[in-house]
Amino acid sequence: MNREELISKWLNNDLNDQEFEAFKNLEDYDDLAKLNNSLQAFKAEDYNTSAELDKVLSKIKSTKKQTTHWIKPLMRVAAILAVCFSLYYYTTTLDTTITTQFAQKTTIELPDASSVSLNAKSLLVFNKKDWKQEREVELNGEAFFKVAKGSTFNVITKSGTVTVYGTQFNVKQRDNYFEVICYEGLVGVTYNTQETKLKPGDSFLIIDGKIIAKEKENRLTPSWLNNESQFKSLPFKEVIAEFERQYHVNITLLNINSDELVTVGFPHNNIDVAIKNITVPLHLTHSKDNNSITLKRE
Amino acid sequence: MGKQLHNNICEERLFSSIFNKHSKDLHNFLYYKFGALLNPKDKVQEAFIKLWQNCAKISPDKAKSFVFTTANNLMLNEAAHQKVVLKHQQTKPKMSTNESPEFLMQEAEYNDKLQKALANLTEPQRVAFMMNRVEGKRFKEIAELLDISTKAVEKRIYGALKKLREDIKEL
Repeated sequence: MNREELISKWLNNDLNDQEFEAFKNLEDYDDLAKLNNSLQAFKAEDYNTSAELDKVLSKIKSTKKQTTHWIKPLMRVAAILAVCFSLYYYTTTLDTTITTQFAQKTTIELPDASSVSLNAKSLLVFNKKDWKQEREVELNGEAFFKVAKGSTFNVITKSGTVTVYGTQFNVKQRDNYFEVICYEGLVGVTYNTQETKLKPGDSFLIIDGKIIAKEKENRLTPSWLNNESQFKSLPFKEVIAEFERQYHVNITLLNINSDELVTVGFPHNNIDVAIKNITVPLHLTHSKDNNSITLKRE
Repeated sequence: MGKQLHNNICEERLFSSIFNKHSKDLHNFLYYKFGALLNPKDKVQEAFIKLWQNCAKISPDKAKSFVFTTANNLMLNEAAHQKVVLKHQQTKPKMSTNESPEFLMQEAEYNDKLQKALANLTEPQRVAFMMNRVEGKRFKEIAELLDISTKAVEKRIYGALKKLREDIKEL
């Protein structure tokens, strides 16, 4: 085995006993041993792995703390902003609801120049925010609309949808009763997916699900706007229901057919005159006790 | 290669085991390559902190080369190239008890020469040679650490030895 191989094996700590003897006999063995011995003094500084690991981990944790330090307040600010924004959004897009009680009437200006008059015991819902995109109101009860020119105007009720092309019309939606009367312009009524167009004076009436034909309307506005109700060939029970709404009373009928068609009218501001108006023409008598009235056929 | 249990090292236990396995080698590598002046311990710390920050992107088998490369770059960023002088430790174990003043002087002279000769070695030669002679690592271990072949390690170490002896004789 030559010298170079021996040295190389020594470097790799690969010498066996026999080879080690041969290595010892090399002329430069002393030289190499001395070099090797002296080299140990140049050893790298001690490195304490576990101590260094602790340092690194504590540094990692402290930087982590720092990051949460500014993230937390940021999250708080973001949360407050989110709450404010959603509150603002909620309140501005909230639907506006207007209700009237017994014997109460009111007139509302819609976001454009349109106006709505609500009759007693009615409910109207519309959205100010969306008004520009969509002129749409929900109605439960009776109302008279004066609609400004513009895009289509929808009145949504339980019984059907009224689409407005023109300007003045009355919608009456009560239990089992749905009536639309057009006073000016053109009105479309969608009932059971079928649309009927009403010209001025036309009316659309449904009682108990049946379409009932009516003669032309001559008045320019509905009678209730002038504080009186007019009924033409309508069931007596509708008259009674309207009377109850206007005066907040209970009416009991004795011996009277409530489906009988009648033509009557009564004012909204004088209960005595009103009772006379609905009883005298039909030959009925009445007795009044606080809030309840009993009508009787002779 | 066996199936990997983890595809990243964002877990303190795993991170610690990687640290325990490689940090000392990394420190010694930096020390022999760049000397003590540039704080190899700090660079090891920095490299492992970077490893932690990027832990999601690094698989366990890439961790070693990541910290070696990172620490090496950190060193290079800081140092304009200068000659590396390894410190002579005072805590050398005494080999003989009857040292004459003459012997001590010769010894000191020899160490002086050796220090200069070591500074004259190239960086790769010095790293491989010191890891072999002082840290007692075998060729194969050094090859794995430096990502080179065993043959190249042997060549570097043998070349370093030859150069050292020539330099010492000349000086």
